[in-house]
Amino acid sequence: MEQELIAIPFNGGKVDALYYKSNKVSSDKNSKTAVIHVHGFLGNFLDGTQRFLPPILAKSGYSSLSINTRLANFGLFFGYGIIDDTISQIDRAKEFLLEQGYKNIVISGYSLGGAVALRYVAMRSSKKKYPYLKGVIALATPYSMPDSIRRRWNRWGSEPSYDQIYEEAKTIFKGNPDNTKEDRTIVVYKTRGNTYLPEHSGIYTYKTWWHLAGPQAHSAMCYKQIEKIKLPILLAQGWYDEIVDSQETYHLAQVARDSGNKNVSVFFVESGHSFEGNEKELGDITVGWLNSEFEE
Amino acid sequence: MNRSHKKLVYFKSKDGFEVSAILTISKKRNDNELYSSPIIIQVHGVLGNFLTRGTPRLLPPALFDVGVHSLSINTRMAFMGQIMESAIFDETINDIDAAVKYLEKLGFQRIFILGYSLGANLVAYYTSLKNSNNTKGIILEGCSYSLPESQKARLEKWESIPNYEDIYESAKHLLGSDPQKSKNDKIFVVYRAWGPTFNPIDCEMFSYKTWWFMRSPEADNAKTYKLIDKIKIPILFINGKNDDIVEAWEPKELKKILTRSGNNNIKMRLIPDAKHDCMENPKTTIAAISNWVRKIR
Repeated sequence: MEQELIAIPFNGGKVDALYYKSNKVSSDKNSKTAVIHVHGFLGNFLDGTQRFLPPILAKSGYSSLSINTRLANFGLFFGYGIIDDTISQIDRAKEFLLEQGYKNIVISGYSLGGAVALRYVAMRSSKKKYPYLKGVIALATPYSMPDSIRRRWNRWGSEPSYDQIYEEAKTIFKGNPDNTKEDRTIVVYKTRGNTYLPEHSGIYTYKTWWHLAGPQAHSAMCYKQIEKIKLPILLAQGWYDEIVDSQETYHLAQVARDSGNKNVSVFFVESGHSFEGNEKELGDITVGWLNSEFEE
Repeated sequence: MNRSHKKLVYFKSKDGFEVSAILTISKKRNDNELYSSPIIIQVHGVLGNFLTRGTPRLLPPALFDVGVHSLSINTRMAFMGQIMESAIFDETINDIDAAVKYLEKLGFQRIFILGYSLGANLVAYYTSLKNSNNTKGIILEGCSYSLPESQKARLEKWESIPNYEDIYESAKHLLGSDPQKSKNDKIFVVYRAWGPTFNPIDCEMFSYKTWWFMRSPEADNAKTYKLIDKIKIPILFINGKNDDIVEAWEPKELKKILTRSGNNNIKMRLIPDAKHDCMENPKTTIAAISNWVRKIR
């Protein structure tokens, strides 16, 4: 496997990415297939599944591109991390892979990245228009980001509460959530646990909160996206996920199947939200799923 | 070693933190030439990382073009370290030390360390305590005289909310008598820290613990003027002539302290047409750095 740090020119800026080029040719279809990996909440291509999955996939002939979107790192803190603004970034990543000669593109996302992946594929659901798009992988992905966040904040008694933030956001935006002039950064305590410690806190701007967690954040409601997807779907989650309820993956799969998608695979592994300790198992599941879709 | 010109590498500091870094190597005729030519460790600024726009991102490829190697590192203060990860200024020198050891293990014998902005204060603190025979000099870009005093003046200028004294009182109350061992910590936002609005662009964020060791009146190791006299190796200061964050007197005063302490191998270059980020004028900046490191043995 070759690993290359790349910057893909995009709208006057760049999409930073780590490109893992598999040198193993197990079948023509494998070597023509590449996976785009999207990070989770506050993440980037240096951590989590975007870091540990690509080398595992490369051993079986699948190349990867792990990207940093506008949601990476502290995009949510400064007002520019908006789900729908990542769509054109993923388009650009996809173009890069097509330029490298790949014919089949799979979009994979972890946690928040799973929501991004589902949103992207839902918006690119026409097989005729997007023939290279072959499937989507959503790992530890909530049924709905807004519902999941509201439930978790209510559970821990967040300060301020979900409803308070919603009211403040409405007041500040005066009907226009893209009124960035009035935007400001907010810290919400006790969002992931019962303390004021940083690891239990959340940071947004009203604008990024509105588009990711607000009651009107339709792009982040994964069940609304997955029902539009007719491509093969792989969903995987840890049984002991402390962030996303394990039932959420099951319910997402059900929505996809109920909407007529007959190619929905669901796997659970013996891990928490991050898959830590079960990296190989998740890798094997992903490779197995890719093989079932792409091996001749 | 692998001579590919750019490579993502990982290594651990002595307390277990994993440092990620981009190693950029210029091709040389042989191993002897490779390892005896200068290599610069680059340390990012506030909330920075090795891909942050400006110096962190632009310097390694520009150095590569003139045949100088680099290792651009993400310390524990990179990304959201000062907000989410309780990254302590004083402990960050372990990451710089790990970078030096990493390069020494590879065989490099002419190591320089460049710190940009916050990174400059970190590098100054590190080299005031440690120096290996292979570390030949440091480059301080946009180095503040003192991180605590600098923030205090800035918050006063913009009439921040909360103000500096209120933050200090809250920090003392929360962290108690031994902030290092305190089990308490909490994130806070300072509005109007960088400008006159409440917009995200003008605010800054810390946890009280990271602020205490980096910006509080007790953050002695971030007061560069107090420790720079202990540095005995060559230093190059580079500062944007139009720097709007670090004032012109700050590196000049630091240089005076060094001269008084007997370190006469100090150079200062003001970079025209550049603000805080000297790579706004890449040609002059790269010439200043590459000419200086080539002269030092």
